[in-house]
Amino acid sequence: MKTLLTIAWRNIWRHPARSGVLLAAIVAGLWAGVVTVGIINGLLQQRIDYMIESEITHAQIHHPEFLAEGYSWLHIPHHDEIINWLENDSRVVNYTSRTITDGMLQSPVKTSGVRIRGIDAETERQTTTFHENLIEGEYLDSDVPSAIIIGAELAAEHNMETGNRVVLTFEDINNELTSGSFHIVGIFRSASVEYDRRNVFVRSDEFIELLGDQPVFHEIGIMLGHEEQAGEVTADLNSRFAGITAQTWRQLSPELSMLVELGGVMVIIITMIIMAALAFGILNTMLMALFERMREIGMLISIGMSKIRVFSTIMFESVMLTLTGTVAGFVLAWGTIRYLSGSGLNLEMFADGAAQLGWDHVIYPELTPGEYVIILSVVILITLMASVYPAIKGIRINPLEAAKNT
Amino acid sequence: MAIVQTKNLSKVYNPDTVPVHALRDVSISIEKGEFTSIVGPSGSGKTTLLNMLGGLDKPSSGSVWVNGKEITSMKESDLIDFRLYNIGFVFQHYNLIPVFTAHENVSFIMLLQNRSKKEIKERADELLEEVGLGDRKNARPVEMSGGQQQRVAVARALASEPKFILADEPTANLDSTSAMNLLDIMSRMNREQNVTFVFSTHDQRVIDRARRVITMVDGAIHKDEYQNVEETKTG
Ligand SMILES: Nc1ncnc2c1ncn2[C@@H]1O[C@H](COP(=O)(O)OP(=O)(O)OP(=O)(O)O)[C@@H](O)[C@H]1O
Ligand SMILES: [Mg+2]
Repeated sequence: MKTLLTIAWRNIWRHPARSGVLLAAIVAGLWAGVVTVGIINGLLQQRIDYMIESEITHAQIHHPEFLAEGYSWLHIPHHDEIINWLENDSRVVNYTSRTITDGMLQSPVKTSGVRIRGIDAETERQTTTFHENLIEGEYLDSDVPSAIIIGAELAAEHNMETGNRVVLTFEDINNELTSGSFHIVGIFRSASVEYDRRNVFVRSDEFIELLGDQPVFHEIGIMLGHEEQAGEVTADLNSRFAGITAQTWRQLSPELSMLVELGGVMVIIITMIIMAALAFGILNTMLMALFERMREIGMLISIGMSKIRVFSTIMFESVMLTLTGTVAGFVLAWGTIRYLSGSGLNLEMFADGAAQLGWDHVIYPELTPGEYVIILSVVILITLMASVYPAIKGIRINPLEAAKNT
Repeated sequence: MAIVQTKNLSKVYNPDTVPVHALRDVSISIEKGEFTSIVGPSGSGKTTLLNMLGGLDKPSSGSVWVNGKEITSMKESDLIDFRLYNIGFVFQHYNLIPVFTAHENVSFIMLLQNRSKKEIKERADELLEEVGLGDRKNARPVEMSGGQQQRVAVARALASEPKFILADEPTANLDSTSAMNLLDIMSRMNREQNVTFVFSTHDQRVIDRARRVITMVDGAIHKDEYQNVEETKTG
């Protein structure tokens, strides 16, 4: 076995130039592939983190029908008991309650459908990073009564700026149309233009007064110590409290959960594409090598080297060649990703387009050890597939090749 | 009992198109310890016969017996294994693994036989010493002369302790000094260790060194005679 590995390894270096070219292709291919996967991961993770931290949080509680219907009377029952429970659960780091209703925003220019989000400035600030999105004016902890902050897109569409007034119209918890006038105190810009166009923020206490005669909350956002705890915590909440639905961020945002899965699939697809191309290089190099060594292999079979050993030697040769390239490619890619994960990959030149789609322009590529293992497995699998044919040709070589005298 | 024996061995190449009768009804028997040369004009069937004796090729009819076992009907994989333990080969060229040193080449066949590391090392050292390459153990084939390479091949063939060694024109690519030197080594092994050699040659001086000379003409045995050899040493 060790001897066969030795032959295989030394055979690789019989044609340093030929093996070198293939090796360079493998190194370059894997480097590019791994870095690409790293960037995609970085993009996805950035999106996920941003969405969780700025708005979705790890878990949310609603009235079971609220998300589908959006009516203000579908508020969370036993709100105070739930808050009490959250306060005493060690897994919960922060939480905030929101009062939400769909309604209309009216300015002298036009009327737009918006989701009105009544938040508690203080607990919201502790729970999410939404306040960081403010680009102009003040946050909701301003002294101005009936304050509202709106998205930059919406402000532009309505030709509004801070200090202007808008009117919000919505149904209260008794199903009656109500409206209120609000002062724009701030303008925000999140990663998603669409979100900025559709959401406005007011103070929950002022909003509750307009909605009815009792405090109502439609959403509780919960940040946990670890993202992985989301499943248990929501399960506990659902079994403990009737009339509510607690959901994890994955359940709340199928888009995000799909992104996570997409990341996993991308690793395999990108590696497969790169390796499929390299497979032809491997096949070609191995066939060339085999063709040159017909007599040598004939000699080995003549003197009594079994077919399984001949087969293994050829397989070892290509696997060792690719593994060498893979290791070098990994080291390079690892270095690149490490470097970029510190400084970030700045895609400012594409940032306009990226912001439209809701992406930030600095990306921190990342790759988990598990993903390196997946890539390595795909590489080995495809190399084995590409080497089987040369290896089979190898064992079919007639021992008489060695006996030929010409 | 004969070490290797053929019974009515025939070989026809291209039987369906342009048949070539390379061997016609060849029956020979070689005993342990013989030093046999197969001679004859080009195309007379020497290589074909040696390939049959070595189990490298299948006859059209007839049988080959090695150490009492009929080998032409053996399964290919069994035959490979049989060759490993019973038959030594010295080819005209491409004998050695280019990426291995002389020592590794000799060791390799013993590794295939799964012998112990210690035994392999000692035996390879000893055999290289015997073929006069004690100081070239770590040379690779490209770093050795043709004669040295053939001596490594002989050492390799001896290493596996086969029943007999087949050599098809082992000296054809060598200058006469190297050729006689190789013959000396082969005949010394034959005398001292009773190793059975069967080799083909065109070289009259090599023929002179053989105890038994089988002459082939047109695929058939023409003459089979024993001759006296003066045991001179060259080089
Ligand atoms: N693979 C083959 N296909 C067809 N004919 C063959 C093949 N190998 C050998 N022959 C023919 O069989 C005959 C015997 O060939 P062989 O090689 O055994 O002769 P030889 O005595 O070894 O000759 P040489 O002294 O030139 O090596 C020749 O006529 C040769 O052309
Ligand atoms: Mg011949």
